[in-house]
Amino acid sequence: MLAPPGASFALFLRSFMSGVILQAINGISLAALLFLLASGFTLTFGLMRVVNMAYGAYYLLGGYIGYSVARRTGSFELAILCGGLTIVVLGFFVDRFLIRPIGHNHLAQVLLTVGVAFVIGEVCLAIWGGDNLRVAIPPWLRGGMELPGGLFYPKYRLALIVLGTSTAILLWLLYHKTHIGAVVRAGVDDREMVNATGINVDRLFALVSALASFLAGLAGVVGGAFLTLNPGAEWDILVLALVVVIVGGLGSLEGAILGSIIVGLLDAYGRWLLPEFSYFVLFGPMAVLLLFRATGIFGKEQ
Amino acid sequence: MTARVLLLVAALAIAAALPSLVGEFWVTLLTQIMIFGLLALSADLLLGHAGLFSLCHAAFFAVAAYTTAILQVRHGVSTALAAPAGILAGTILSFVFAFAVRTRGVYFILITLAFGYIIWGVAYRWASFTGGDNGVTNVPFPAIGGLRVAGPTQYYYVVLVAVVLIALAYRVLITSPFGLTLRGIKSSESRMRSLGYDVGSHLYVAFVLSGLIASIAGVLYVYYNRFINPVAASFPVSVEAVLMAIVGGTGTILGPFLGSGIILVLRNWVSGFFHYYTAVLGIVFIVTVLFAPQGIMGLVARWRAGNRGEGA
Repeated sequence: MLAPPGASFALFLRSFMSGVILQAINGISLAALLFLLASGFTLTFGLMRVVNMAYGAYYLLGGYIGYSVARRTGSFELAILCGGLTIVVLGFFVDRFLIRPIGHNHLAQVLLTVGVAFVIGEVCLAIWGGDNLRVAIPPWLRGGMELPGGLFYPKYRLALIVLGTSTAILLWLLYHKTHIGAVVRAGVDDREMVNATGINVDRLFALVSALASFLAGLAGVVGGAFLTLNPGAEWDILVLALVVVIVGGLGSLEGAILGSIIVGLLDAYGRWLLPEFSYFVLFGPMAVLLLFRATGIFGKEQ
Repeated sequence: MTARVLLLVAALAIAAALPSLVGEFWVTLLTQIMIFGLLALSADLLLGHAGLFSLCHAAFFAVAAYTTAILQVRHGVSTALAAPAGILAGTILSFVFAFAVRTRGVYFILITLAFGYIIWGVAYRWASFTGGDNGVTNVPFPAIGGLRVAGPTQYYYVVLVAVVLIALAYRVLITSPFGLTLRGIKSSESRMRSLGYDVGSHLYVAFVLSGLIASIAGVLYVYYNRFINPVAASFPVSVEAVLMAIVGGTGTILGPFLGSGIILVLRNWVSGFFHYYTAVLGIVFIVTVLFAPQGIMGLVARWRAGNRGEGA
């Protein structure tokens, strides 16, 4: 027999509403991951005017290293540390010996770092193969937990939200409330002037670059535990991170925070409601925004 | 000038005679080189003349190729209609994406990259229409009326004629006042603005024309490759097209084709014994940027300038 129309509608509404909430949390957890990658990209751009397209490959390599470390030692924390530090070392050499010699030419930077990304991607393919790999989640983060309202949600993703949020707060405090942050902000506005005041800008660049590289490697390890690591994943994640910085405004930390949330939510709802056109859902609003504000929400005119 | 015309005629005579001199492998490879050279040329209209670095040319290429393939294979439309429809579809897309010229520099690069990803995403995920990962297969050789292309050698001539005609039109375009204005914008946008030029419209038109050429390359490609899948729309295709233009030399007509030849011959050679071709391509990117940013044509120009210097 048919259920009364009111009852079936109420049922539909309830499952729809829980879907809405579930996708919101999915979106925010993706936003947390994207922020880890996008914040590094946007800060290095803001300070050094470097467009580094290898950040996706940094993410993937960091993730693979974390995968192997977690398999050998069983320690997720060690995996994060090794993944992050490897990328710090790699990033230092790429910055010092490849990017610095070519100066401030964005075209050359893009081509060069795409080349670096291709090489890293193939090295990963040679070592880890083409299968989908997943970093092992530590036991205390496995399984789900009940949220208020009766929804069950994976603990790991909630932990990711906590990690992303605390990183954002720490970076914001570092950027706005410390001496180093003040120097970095000054460097973003006027590099020559900072140099002229006797501050070693090279060391500052190296520091910010190391932080950004560490975050990219870390993002790979924590992202590799809920998305998969596979050839091509470096470009998927890079494009999402780029949309974050375009929407938020290149060089702006606040922009990276807001952009991550927008992109995370659009991606989650897009995949849920319009799976075949989820890229449209993601890029359409970006295109419209740029028609009216070409430098993103928080971006400054160059 | 007459020397250059003679050189051109000689080159065309060699190109026309090549299929009877070399085997089918080379005829196929040369066809591919011309098609991707055309794609590189389209990207170079923006890069070499307007100073805009676009990363979405695979989108026009792929949309044109998909349109032609779907019309011809699934709906039995003849080449005479399917090919122009493909070119039209790619060009219409370029009318939309051309709004990217509202931005400059890094923003332009990143936005065109994101645009390119939309098309790749649609080709990949809208499987009911595009065939998803498998794409569209069994595209026949083109046939217009009673004229039917029978094999790779005949298709080589089709592509050769198309490429020569487009190259001639391209030359007219870049030597016209329009082309001069573009190069003026490239060297100093603010100066052209203050001289009263409508910079935005010029860049918009250049972007659309560039999309038109990329679409023609896409249609030539689908009849060459005989199938199409999302790889044709992917980011590596776009960035490789730009690399080809730079390796050969931007701002020239011959350069993109030279670059296409170098990259594709390298790919064929390396793939024979080394599994990780993309790593080699990555190294080509790095080496080009660090050691030969002006490309082959740049090296040639420097060499000729050097010779002239010695003679004087």
